[in-house]
Amino acid sequence: MKKDLISMEDLTLEKIKSYLSEAKKVEGTPLQDRVRLLPGKILAALFFEPSTRTRLSFEAAMHRLGGSVIGFAEQGATSVSKGESFTDTIHTVENYCDIMVIRHPGEGTARLAANESILPVINAGDGSNQHPTQTLLDLYTIEKYLGKITGIKIAFVGDLKYSRTVHSLINALMKFSVTDFTLVAPEALKLPKYFMRTDQPGKFKFKETESLEDAIPECDILYMTRIQRERFPDLVEYEKVKDSYILSADMLKQARPHLKVLHPLPRVNEIAYNVDKTDFAGYFPQARNGVIMRQAIILKHLGVTL
Amino acid sequence: MNNQENVLYIPKIELGIVIDHIPAGKGLKILDIISRYEEMKDVVVTLGQNYYSKKLGKKDLIKLQMEYLAPEIIQHISIVAPGVTIKAIKDFKVHNKVVVHPPKEIRNLLECKNPKCITNQEKHIGTKFTAVDDTIKEVKCNYCERVFKLSELDVINR
Repeated sequence: MKKDLISMEDLTLEKIKSYLSEAKKVEGTPLQDRVRLLPGKILAALFFEPSTRTRLSFEAAMHRLGGSVIGFAEQGATSVSKGESFTDTIHTVENYCDIMVIRHPGEGTARLAANESILPVINAGDGSNQHPTQTLLDLYTIEKYLGKITGIKIAFVGDLKYSRTVHSLINALMKFSVTDFTLVAPEALKLPKYFMRTDQPGKFKFKETESLEDAIPECDILYMTRIQRERFPDLVEYEKVKDSYILSADMLKQARPHLKVLHPLPRVNEIAYNVDKTDFAGYFPQARNGVIMRQAIILKHLGVTL
Repeated sequence: MNNQENVLYIPKIELGIVIDHIPAGKGLKILDIISRYEEMKDVVVTLGQNYYSKKLGKKDLIKLQMEYLAPEIIQHISIVAPGVTIKAIKDFKVHNKVVVHPPKEIRNLLECKNPKCITNQEKHIGTKFTAVDDTIKEVKCNYCERVFKLSELDVINR
């Protein structure tokens, strides 16, 4: 087992599957047993930029395994603000803990930490590069809802140009031989062609559309993302598209009964609140799966088997 | 201009290194690289530009009056001007020659173009790029994972 989890690019299909099966085992273990798994172990959560969900989810995961958490939630509270280098921070903190979870705006930071440290390093997001624990929890959620990943039909909606979550998930799904992708995005936020590149021409179908209504009846998973105002060079363009991708309960009348709506959160207005009460809403259980997947990751990288 | 006339313009050397088949215009760039290395400071260097070449149409040529060119410098040249020929000359004859190609892994030579890459914030860690495929036209930063054309990357300022 490699000691670090840095990038989805490092993971083969087999390795990804091993995380999914570990998460399944974690979920099948009663809470009172889980809490006895890591007594005395310390996780350092080094968050050089704020992130509520990811940090709290890692902290909850560790506490519920019986371990404890040290760390910080923003760079201002650290010696980095006094001019300490990142590598010095890593070499200091590794004396205080058993595993490190790092979020940093600098791209490649987690890889650097992993190269430098003798401890396992988990990447909790490095700029717009990688966020592998999000991708793994997305895959776990899909498998849990549909019973499989290979062969599913998925539509991605919103900002497909800049969303790290979308890029990483598409790449992982291609490893599972998911072949049907529907991409719903305004012209300015379309998925870059680079992410459709493959050495198996003809195997994957990417259907691009600007209509959310057209995509809904055909998919098993509707993966929503937030359209970020700041991404638009021309605000007139933003005004034109900002409301085109608001999913409401009415629109889901055309959906397959088992369809699930996922979202990495936070949402702004792209999913109407009336969707929350429908059976289609999968985004809060998805956040719950985040804790389970992160428990599986912590256990795996500390060498604890269930 | 034929090869015979070339000899008149750059005299043959008895002992040294010839960097040949440099695409026209890149000679100066290679000179710039060479001059960055301390051990090259006192070496006698001759640069010829825009010579006739059957293969390239026009080419540049560099002669160095020295016995041995460090592998680090050869690697550096191979990245800036892939495909050039480096010849070792002894007794006015080509003793050994090699066509240089960039390595699949390039360490501490190139700067990552991504301003958000950690290698641009923590300069002491160095850089590492790995070729995307066998053509070595594109390389990927091992830190930020961005893919760049090899030709668009600049060399780290020493």
